[in-house]
Amino acid sequence: MKTIKDKIAKLSFVALLLAVTSAMFYTPTASAHGEKSQAAFMRMRTIHWFDLNWSKDEVSVNETMTISGKFHVFAGWPETVDKPDVAFLNIGIPGPVFIRAGSWIGDQLVPRSVSLELGDTYDFKVLLKARRPGDWHVHTMMNVEGGGPIIGPGKWVTITGSMGDFVNPLTTLTGDVIDLEDYALDNVYFWHALWMGIGLAWLLFWFKRPMFIPRHIAITSGKADTLISAGDKKVAIAFAVGTMGLVMMSMGATNDKYPITTPLQAGLMRGMVPIDLPETSITVKVEDASYRVPGRAMQMTLTITNDGDSAVRLGEFMTASVRFLDPDVLEDESGYPDDLLAEEGLTVSDNSPLAPGETRTVEVTASDAAWEVYRLADLIYDPDSRFAGLLFFFDEEGTRQMIMVDAPLIPTFI
Amino acid sequence: MSASQSAVRSRAEAVQVSRALDWMILFTLFTAVLGGYHIHYMLTGGDWDFWTDWKDRRLWVTVAPIVSITFPAAVQSMLWYRYRLPFGAVVAVMALMIGEWINRYLNFWGWTYFPVNFVFPSNLVPGAIVLDVVLMLSGSFILTAVVGGLAYGLLFYPGNWPIIAPLHVPVEYNGMMFTLADLQGYHYVRTGTPEYIRMVEKGTLRTFGKDVAPVSAFFSGFVSIIIYFLWHYFGRWFNKTDFVDPADI
Repeated sequence: MKTIKDKIAKLSFVALLLAVTSAMFYTPTASAHGEKSQAAFMRMRTIHWFDLNWSKDEVSVNETMTISGKFHVFAGWPETVDKPDVAFLNIGIPGPVFIRAGSWIGDQLVPRSVSLELGDTYDFKVLLKARRPGDWHVHTMMNVEGGGPIIGPGKWVTITGSMGDFVNPLTTLTGDVIDLEDYALDNVYFWHALWMGIGLAWLLFWFKRPMFIPRHIAITSGKADTLISAGDKKVAIAFAVGTMGLVMMSMGATNDKYPITTPLQAGLMRGMVPIDLPETSITVKVEDASYRVPGRAMQMTLTITNDGDSAVRLGEFMTASVRFLDPDVLEDESGYPDDLLAEEGLTVSDNSPLAPGETRTVEVTASDAAWEVYRLADLIYDPDSRFAGLLFFFDEEGTRQMIMVDAPLIPTFI
Repeated sequence: MSASQSAVRSRAEAVQVSRALDWMILFTLFTAVLGGYHIHYMLTGGDWDFWTDWKDRRLWVTVAPIVSITFPAAVQSMLWYRYRLPFGAVVAVMALMIGEWINRYLNFWGWTYFPVNFVFPSNLVPGAIVLDVVLMLSGSFILTAVVGGLAYGLLFYPGNWPIIAPLHVPVEYNGMMFTLADLQGYHYVRTGTPEYIRMVEKGTLRTFGKDVAPVSAFFSGFVSIIIYFLWHYFGRWFNKTDFVDPADI
């Protein structure tokens, strides 16, 4: 009986090892960036990305594409997230599959962190150069110090070609033309190989003689002083002097070879210029808002006043990069990612043109599976149960006005 | 053969077994130090060692020696105290650097495709050789800490300058000046490493104008002295054999 038990135990152990080993060979591609798992309020009440455009869906290696658009820094920024006094316009891609050839806020190149103002809206553009073939989900992204990454919408882009063809040519201020992709790589290998060779020589000098047991016996029997000979000391001095000499000589030679070097460039960039948006002539008051869990729908009661001189209609509600459109008013022609677009997701109880000077209270419903798919429904579990988003109104000529809304949200479970 | 009999029957066999044990112990020591030291250094030196755009003349110079003199001090105390072997620092540093190269080549380049000229590790060998030689010549841990620790900090920057200097050549890009290392950090996108977490060129050390690297190196050397003492005693503590009952040997 015991033998059978032992055999079962052994076989189980072997099976476990095989399972663990085979699991190591299963490495599926990770395609997402955790955009759905970020707290809903972070996506709703921080940075609102809109008017986005991915210039291409497919590029070949070395070809460039841009992501451009606008982002609004929400005035009702949550208390639990540090304000964007230090922020960095990033790009959400799986490693350097593109290189970031440029990024701008307004007209300002922003290679470093910037300071953003709450309530302002900025133009941005990111220029990407394709490097590694594959299908990649390319997101807009803003990192905020103390807040973490705030990821925007993502769109699939295909890179074709071979990474071996990628080049990143530059001309330095000293007039050298280089390829940053492999610049100075031989130099890195050379110095590391040289110093590791010297280190290995020092080790081999000691490894070639008996080490642990005989030396331990010698020490415990009081003969420790005999273990280091005068010859050993001479060799050691040669190593030390040679090391210091090589360090000094190589530093001197390097300074001769590269007489002009500068320190790393760092520091916060202030004074980002926002878009000068015209005054809005529409005011919106959120009377109440609720999220109906079974229906995956958010309902708002809005009192809208039009103080402008042309009639307007509500065409879009956008929150956390999900766009709910009223198809009678607005159709998307920008190629916005399908999974983030509810083309018929916005229903307004009375969306007839709101005449100048008129005030109307309407029921607005934003419903789509995206509430669930993008885990925005988790908003009801947030510590500060509020929602926020952008409302876009359009007049007959297509002129757009953007209104922010920010109000408490009550979940309904039945 | 009973338990009380010797496992070897001649001096030649004893020598052979002793050498076999040497290599087994060395292999175990090397891989254990490689793993432990690598994790320690990634957690404490981390980004300063990963990326060229973190390798500045202030904080990299200061932090890297302080956090990397740890395992060399501990391994030295064990190898010298027990065996009078003066290669503890070099074996530790070589283990770390081999581990780092495996990581940088297979993971940073092979897996995530960051160019190797952006992610190569720091060179720690010059300081380690001097640390070992000072211990061997002086036979004193105090002198090794004071002289060797200081030298370890001082040699770090010049020992790495030939490797990083080409990447500190300036370049004009879209109307701004960068070093090539800055541009590597900007071009090769790190989604999880925004620019603001880069701890470079920060601090109030402005009195010395552009020559801050030597001051940073001296400061690093001084702190390395203290860290050397601390980790020397960690090494001693881990080498204790109090738990072995002599009667059982």
